[in-house]
Amino acid sequence: MGADGAPSQSVPWRKVLWERQPFPDNYVDQRFLEELRRNEGIREYRYWAVVKEASLVGQQLSCVAIFITFWLYMEQGLLAPETLLWTSLVCGLLGYGLYQAFTSQTDSCSETRTHLADLQSAALFLSFTFGFSPVLKTLTESVSTDTVYAMSAVMLLAHLVSFPYGEPSPPGSLSLNAALFASVCLASRLPGALHTFAMLSCALLVFALWPCLLQRLRENSPLQFTGVCVGVCTGGVGGLASQSLGGAVLLSLAVVSVTFLCPLLLVWLQRHKDNIHGPWDEAEICEDLSHFLH
Amino acid sequence: MVLKIFFPQCCNRADSGLLVGRWIAGHDSAVVLAVIHYPFIPGQVKQYIQQMQAQSGVELSVLGSWSLPKEGQEGLESFLRDLSTIFPQERWLQISRQMGKTGFTCEVLSRDQTGGSARRSNEAEAKKESKDGGDGEEEAEEKVIFVHYEQRKVMLSQLHPIANENPENKSEPSTELREMFQTVAHSQPLFFLDKYDDGLLKSTHWQSEGREASIIVELMKQASVPLCIFISWLLSVWTWTCNIWIFSVFPLCFLSSILSTFIQLSYRTEHMRTLSSPKSAEGHTQFMRKANILVSVLVDVALGVFLMSWLYRDDHISMLADALVPAADHVAQQLEELLQWLMGAPAGLKMNRALDQVLGRFFLYHIHLWISYIHLMAPFIEGILWYGGLSACFGLTFALSLLSDMVALFTFHIYCFYVYGARLYCLKIYGLSSLWRLFRGKKWNVLRQRVDSCSYDLDQLFIGTLLLTILLFLLPTTALYYLVFTLLRLVIVLFQGILHLSVDFINSFPLFAAGLRVCRSYRLAEGVKFRVLCEEPGTALHLLMEINPLKFSSVVRTYRTPTYSCYPKDSWAALVKKLFIGELIYPWRHKTTKTD
Repeated sequence: MGADGAPSQSVPWRKVLWERQPFPDNYVDQRFLEELRRNEGIREYRYWAVVKEASLVGQQLSCVAIFITFWLYMEQGLLAPETLLWTSLVCGLLGYGLYQAFTSQTDSCSETRTHLADLQSAALFLSFTFGFSPVLKTLTESVSTDTVYAMSAVMLLAHLVSFPYGEPSPPGSLSLNAALFASVCLASRLPGALHTFAMLSCALLVFALWPCLLQRLRENSPLQFTGVCVGVCTGGVGGLASQSLGGAVLLSLAVVSVTFLCPLLLVWLQRHKDNIHGPWDEAEICEDLSHFLH
Repeated sequence: MVLKIFFPQCCNRADSGLLVGRWIAGHDSAVVLAVIHYPFIPGQVKQYIQQMQAQSGVELSVLGSWSLPKEGQEGLESFLRDLSTIFPQERWLQISRQMGKTGFTCEVLSRDQTGGSARRSNEAEAKKESKDGGDGEEEAEEKVIFVHYEQRKVMLSQLHPIANENPENKSEPSTELREMFQTVAHSQPLFFLDKYDDGLLKSTHWQSEGREASIIVELMKQASVPLCIFISWLLSVWTWTCNIWIFSVFPLCFLSSILSTFIQLSYRTEHMRTLSSPKSAEGHTQFMRKANILVSVLVDVALGVFLMSWLYRDDHISMLADALVPAADHVAQQLEELLQWLMGAPAGLKMNRALDQVLGRFFLYHIHLWISYIHLMAPFIEGILWYGGLSACFGLTFALSLLSDMVALFTFHIYCFYVYGARLYCLKIYGLSSLWRLFRGKKWNVLRQRVDSCSYDLDQLFIGTLLLTILLFLLPTTALYYLVFTLLRLVIVLFQGILHLSVDFINSFPLFAAGLRVCRSYRLAEGVKFRVLCEEPGTALHLLMEINPLKFSSVVRTYRTPTYSCYPKDSWAALVKKLFIGELIYPWRHKTTKTD
């Protein structure tokens, strides 16, 4: 849209600002945006694949719910600490066997811990927890119950937020520590030292060891992984329902929305994605630089 | 060009004669030091001046002539003028004064290269001068300013550098002044000749009325030599005793570096060594230092004897001793009450009950131990006080140091509490800070001095979090105990600090310099000020130079005896930080003991 039209035929317009050209300042050519590219390298999500991935989040939510359920039972005296201890022991041994089975399936023999090291760690856990449980029981005696609950809630939330959902096998420091802190706070409210010990063992199982096993499961048999997730979610909702119905409803709503609604939203909003690329982007080095070395 | 002539006030009414003094090189000024009267033989004058020059090291010369004609002494003018040929000089001053007139007349004769002297001042002016009656008027090409100075004061005063904001501006006149002061101070041999000497020359200067002397001063000077020798002998015996190997064994050596009495003793030994050195003081600073030390030692001993006379009169010692044990008991009881309060719910704080009980009982047991120790000591306290009081005859500082040490010993339990509390608290703080890093998955990289991320093992994380939780919930209890005992410790440290500061004040305050400043303020000069004496148009300007005494603050700053200064070792911020992280504080530790 040259104002005069006449000089535009003789002199071609160039997309530069540093040169004086016979065009008005706001003049643009047809070729102005021809290098624009949209949505380069975008990944198309498929709904069920996303749901499968998101089930890990729902599963973790349910894990927290299961832990809280155990604690509620223990606090009301409905669950004897011995029972919980034995259950934990059996579950732990079972999980350890499964873990070993999965490890032998995969050929990653690069850094396998020996059984002795595992035994050492287990002895360390048990002895420390058992030794400290009388101390832990009196720890929050003078702190008000509301404070302890609030602190535990914040810490569990921090655990959920900072949990490494992409790669849960080496547990993230912050998430594990937050969960353990919360469980120590909650366990210190229980009536006896053995209760505290049982609760902490349970926390160790749920927050530290279970994600490792789950990761192995996801790598080796994706079908069973989905089944386990569904099982855990139902277990969490069911367990909470036996204590408080409202909590169970809330949990199930949360699980459903995280597992089904959020992926739906993601896939639906995918259409509106509009990324623009062009020569104005900063440079990206994508070439293999190794040939410079030779 | 302005010619400045520094003229001593005492020579104002001197008989006619020759002006002896010095031309200050580089500056257009002359310092008149004395007047030599006639009759004299020029050869003797020359010899005398050379002799004085050799003795004093000042380039003395005959500056010119001085005439104050009395009745019946007329016609000297031409004689005086002829003198300039006898004493050949670059410039010849011819100063004359009429009886009953204030102003001086000055003529400057300069010598040509050829050797003959010629009057440079205007003939016409001279005529006019004579016509007017010669009222001290001089309209030469060179203006002359007379600066009158008091010779004795200038000779005795020490000019101090001016602490000015812009020293460059003042540098030139101050150097001229400095040279003038030095000239007057160094030409003391010139002033030994007095009116009653039956030498061949008679001269006028500040001491010409007769030399000042005091029998007492002379006697003291004579007596001081054997006294110094005796003191230094005592000191050498004392030093030899101190160096016996038994004193360098660990506990004694450690004690002597901690107890302030021993430090004061070593410090006083150093003082006495300085005082009794057989060499006389070199220079003004050394002299002032010695005098300050002597005066402060004397004052100190006087105060100490005063204190002693009070202590041993009316049995004050036994009263003190009787009051001491109940006081210690009272303090212990107060501490017990404080601990009982802490073991409850102090200030409504919720403490960890178990830890609270443990700590409280531990401290209570400690107090119990302490009280039994005090009661065991009770029969001996009076004796200790009685013999300790004797130390006051060495000076008040010894008594104060002893008091400080006794306070430290009697409140040892509070110090112990503080150390326990601080150690516990410090452990918790360090543990919490490193475990908090573990909680976030970080670690402290020692090599790079920064926080790096780190992947921990499961068991490390588990135990770390367990410990973090325990430490976090137990922190308030420990912190409260730490706070209370730190406050108690700070009170004692403050008291000891006041004692140490007063000892340090007595040791280092320049009493002699302050006394000089009060009584003989001209002795310590910071500069001079000029007052116009007579200023009439056409007359040479007459100024009176007065000495500005040194300010009191600069007296103290300049002449403060360098001591082990027990100033706070850290700044306030560093102190607060140390208190916060639970490091032990010794804010009044002496600098000398820090070296070991």
